[in-house]
Amino acid sequence: MTIEQRARRRARTGKTRAPVSTRLSATAVALLLALACSKPFPTHYPVSPPAVSFKALDASMAGSAPDVASRVTSQRIAGAREEPHNWLTYYGAYDGQRYSALDQINAGNVAGLRPAWSFQAGVIGVIAAPATYAFEAAPLVVDGVMFLSGYDGYVWALDAATGRMLWQYRHAVPLDVPLCCGNVNRGVAVGLGKVFYASPNAQLVALDAITGRVMWQKTFADVRAGESATVAPLLVKNLVIVGSSGAEYGVRGHLDAFDAGTGRHVWRRYTVPRPGEPGSETWPANSLAWATGGGTTWITGSYDPELDLLYWGTGNPGPDFDGAVRPGNNLYTNSVIAVDPDDGTIRWHYQWTPHDLWDYDGVNENILFDLDGRKLLAHFDKNGHLFVLDRTNGRLVRVTPFGRVTWADVTESTGAITVKLRPTPAGQRICPGPAGLKEWPHAAFSRATELLYVPVVEQCATFKVMRQEFSEGMAYWGGEASPIRTEQWGEVKAIDPRTGQQRWSWRFAHPIVASVLATAGDLVFAGTPTGEVVALHARTGAELWRYQTGSGIHSSPVTYRVNGKQYVAVPSGWGGWMKGFAPEMYGANRGNTLFVFALP
Amino acid sequence: MPGPPALAACAIVALALAGCDYVRLLRPSVLKQLNPDVVRLVNELPAVDDANEALVARLFAHGGLSWADRGRDGVYRDQVRIPRNQYIWKPAIVVMGAGGELEIDVANDDEVFHIALVPSNGGRQVLELPVRTRGKVRVRLDQPGLYWFGCPVANHAGRGMLGIVMVKGEVDPAARLDRPKMPRPEDR
Repeated sequence: MTIEQRARRRARTGKTRAPVSTRLSATAVALLLALACSKPFPTHYPVSPPAVSFKALDASMAGSAPDVASRVTSQRIAGAREEPHNWLTYYGAYDGQRYSALDQINAGNVAGLRPAWSFQAGVIGVIAAPATYAFEAAPLVVDGVMFLSGYDGYVWALDAATGRMLWQYRHAVPLDVPLCCGNVNRGVAVGLGKVFYASPNAQLVALDAITGRVMWQKTFADVRAGESATVAPLLVKNLVIVGSSGAEYGVRGHLDAFDAGTGRHVWRRYTVPRPGEPGSETWPANSLAWATGGGTTWITGSYDPELDLLYWGTGNPGPDFDGAVRPGNNLYTNSVIAVDPDDGTIRWHYQWTPHDLWDYDGVNENILFDLDGRKLLAHFDKNGHLFVLDRTNGRLVRVTPFGRVTWADVTESTGAITVKLRPTPAGQRICPGPAGLKEWPHAAFSRATELLYVPVVEQCATFKVMRQEFSEGMAYWGGEASPIRTEQWGEVKAIDPRTGQQRWSWRFAHPIVASVLATAGDLVFAGTPTGEVVALHARTGAELWRYQTGSGIHSSPVTYRVNGKQYVAVPSGWGGWMKGFAPEMYGANRGNTLFVFALP
Repeated sequence: MPGPPALAACAIVALALAGCDYVRLLRPSVLKQLNPDVVRLVNELPAVDDANEALVARLFAHGGLSWADRGRDGVYRDQVRIPRNQYIWKPAIVVMGAGGELEIDVANDDEVFHIALVPSNGGRQVLELPVRTRGKVRVRLDQPGLYWFGCPVANHAGRGMLGIVMVKGEVDPAARLDRPKMPRPEDR
């Protein structure tokens, strides 16, 4: 159009166009809008292949296991000694002895033991820094199927003869779980057609033992409060029992029991009483110290089906080193509690370390054994003493030290404790260190030799106490303990339970933090922080065999038989709370491989 | 004086702007969360965040945050995009108001192949995303906490394709400790 034509049209219609400035602003605003606000989601894109589960892309995995678990009941576990070819429960049997009657592998032929197969647990994920991982499991074996758990939410069913993976379950574990010490899991329980697993964020998960699918899932502790879980659950009668973790976060410890069939929560027993409850007189009155009292229950208990009593250990009080905020003996921390499995009632208790100032968790296993017509319980405590109790009533038979102890004198016949050394603000050298003279890895009792075998952490530390203000979910130690690296070593000791005297000792350069395994083949298997698995003669301690696995052992090896062949399974994978029990090995290579040995 | 059409246009623009993300930041509830550290993060991040300045790709948090919507069926849903040449997820942080099922609709706007590997109870889920495709992945995250997801192709995760699903909320009340309300860190 010419200028004249435009002017004639304007005069005819009366319409005017917006000035140039307005049009430019509108355009600018429209452009700004287009840039500043989100682009529309591209619903026109072609659809990608459908999402699949990660393990569906593992062609080596069978996908399901034979049905071996539906025939496992608490009653069958109570008779575990009649089927030594299986390892039906965490300690091999309810008695906690970690003893196997298998003798195909024995002192005469163990020198020929070699790997039959290995299982590698896979890549370490992002949940926590590498230092905190460790392979701490006790594999279970039921009629040729191995059930194994790992860090990071893993549970596997494997063919126990070949190592082939049958199924894998992986729980989604949140990144920020308030673990105290390690991204670890000590094992599962199997029975009634299910595999029971406790995740780090305190989910008790019941899996179908054939497919690995979830049957039910229940929360049993509160991550927001600083709780977590590492324990292997225990199947007793129709209940699955789990313990909690978090005594380093000022939690209040407890045991929980769930119906194995439905997951219904049946009972909870707190290990630290409320004001007015039995034991509350051992906590300060008019104080909230009980609410941060600790006493967690992170090691699986043992069980006497005849007496119908659970023997469960409790951990340190909170805060670990600052006892001034909680005057009193602090029941039931650092104790064995004999618990009625039907309702969680505490029938009796024995407190190993009253008013703990040294982080001497009383959680270590309680080994049930009969000797000279007496029903006894043996407990190697972190505080450096072997306690032998009458397990019917908790009366002390004898208490003896099994290594260097400077924190107290303990009278052998009465158990009376005279404390000699306490943490100070400037720091005090005390033995044992915070890992204890024995850490959680388990001792064993051999029915063949009638000896106890214990993995020993010889280590002292400088203990400092410091007042700390409590905030939920934050670590609450009340001080610190620094191991003294220059004077530590490890041992496996054979101890006569009748006297507490040492029969023999096998010494190693580093603390021993793997569970020992005793067998009728006159053997004691042990593992070292530098990766060796060793077989020692049960009667003399002579080293008969060793094998280098490539990463430190911090687990519970087991033995079993399939198709007439005996195997020894050893999870190898260093990590966990190394600063506490072997700081000189803090930088050692991590690992995540299960080695299974057999004779050629 | 602008005529009615221009006024209408201004009104539409104003409404659109009000719904726009930038303007929504000017609400009091958002402004009161700003503190010097956050302001510095926002101001300085672009300078250290551009590809090939301090990083070969981009800092993962630059993908931003989004709240998943809870549908009538109880499933949380959100959309995540992979922009071109940045090796990040946008948003990088997906927030679920409580534990449950999450369905993420992922679009690959990039010119290379990616995978979304997302945690889920039972096992991680793998969603393959060829160039310029879109797919849905459904996962079960039923407990509070942070969960990471990422792209496991090459080192895409290391270069920035790390993301977080944040599940808010408390645990089952039946599992909580029987004790008085205790001080939390944010109270101090």
